[in-house]
Amino acid sequence: MTSVQERIEAIIGEFADLDSREKLELLVDFANGLPPLSAEYEARKAAEDRRVHECQTAVFLWPDVESGRARLVAEVAPEAPTVKGFVAILAEAINGHPAVDAACIPDDLLERMGLADVLGMLRSRGLRAIVGHVKRGIAAKTAASA
Amino acid sequence: MPNYANPDVLVSTEWVAGHLHDPKVRIVESNEDRALYTQGHIPGAVEIDWMVDLQDQNWRDYIDKAAFEKLCIERGISNDSTVVFYGDKNNWWACYAFWVFKLYGHGDCRIMDGGRKRWDLDGRGWSSDRVNPARGHYTATEQDGSIRALRDEVLKHQKAGKQLLDVRSPEEYRGERTHMPDYPNEGAVRGGHIPGAVNVPWPMNCKEDGTFKSARDLEKLYVRELRMKRRSPTIAYCRIGERSSLTWFVLKYLLGFGNVKNYDGSWLEWGNCVRVPIAKGGEPGGAAGPSATTTSG
Repeated sequence: MTSVQERIEAIIGEFADLDSREKLELLVDFANGLPPLSAEYEARKAAEDRRVHECQTAVFLWPDVESGRARLVAEVAPEAPTVKGFVAILAEAINGHPAVDAACIPDDLLERMGLADVLGMLRSRGLRAIVGHVKRGIAAKTAASA
Repeated sequence: MPNYANPDVLVSTEWVAGHLHDPKVRIVESNEDRALYTQGHIPGAVEIDWMVDLQDQNWRDYIDKAAFEKLCIERGISNDSTVVFYGDKNNWWACYAFWVFKLYGHGDCRIMDGGRKRWDLDGRGWSSDRVNPARGHYTATEQDGSIRALRDEVLKHQKAGKQLLDVRSPEEYRGERTHMPDYPNEGAVRGGHIPGAVNVPWPMNCKEDGTFKSARDLEKLYVRELRMKRRSPTIAYCRIGERSSLTWFVLKYLLGFGNVKNYDGSWLEWGNCVRVPIAKGGEPGGAAGPSATTTSG
């Protein structure tokens, strides 16, 4: 099984050679692949404060750790496919991997995927905040279960 | 029923659907979220992004005349094209792009009333096909300073006690927030508003379905309740100039105000400026503001 590091490198590689239009298309593919919330998480969404307040749009994140492995469950409003795609990428990179490895998601992932220029500075900063949010969430859960 | 001052500048989704193949018409989508266009756009529409396409990437200004011409040519827009703008978020960015096109003197610009939301509600389809229009022919004019206010002009305008509109949320206006509720990246080091500015949050221009309110309702709000004068010079601002371009559009085109400018530097500039007056709280505050002390150096 590949590591988080390897998966991140693979995703960066997928985006690397694409032009901006293709980059956005790939991002939308990721967005379309983010599964809808299960009934359990729908219920939790109503009960818990999981909205990411740093975000431009309605984003709900559950960075979780189960038996030492990372699991990111998320819901992002359909009118924000950029955020949705980026969250889906983070989920794909870390889900099922040792939770401690989530720390190796680079803070500048967006830049390394070449998406920062496609999206512009203000949007990029918002997405950068999500990386920090997920990493902090997983780290806190890991510490709590240690 | 009173009509808008310039009714032709708004088109319905039905009108757009009937002009998808009209070679004189170019449909332009401008969004907050770029990937929305990629996911699905009106068939044949091109995308113009406010941040990547319309702003210069080095200095804080719009692209220059030559870059604007190049952009139009690549998007298949010619001087005589009817350009119809639409987008997400109640057409904020559509109005912003409309304003930049007017800045460079484009003649026939329209807004599709209700934007993406109304197109969706009307059950019209989206396309994810790539659009590669034939190149246009374009010569832009120099920037039209009559619709754009820069900082020094705003300061003079403020000192003279002329009409100023702050279209941000009441929390931002009162100075309780230095950024919009969900936009922490666009903050300022000081909160409040430009003294003398009246707060008319942008949603007051729109209906639930994203379309603009009727001429009667808009007139009631701006002219009868706020007692704004159509002939007096007016400047609108928000945080980065996008929501205020929507209000600029409403005042200028729907209500027929004669002299309206958008202050695109908006609070992101004003709230970070040294020695400009700021008022806090729910009242407009005096036009004079705190008097600048005379110092040297």
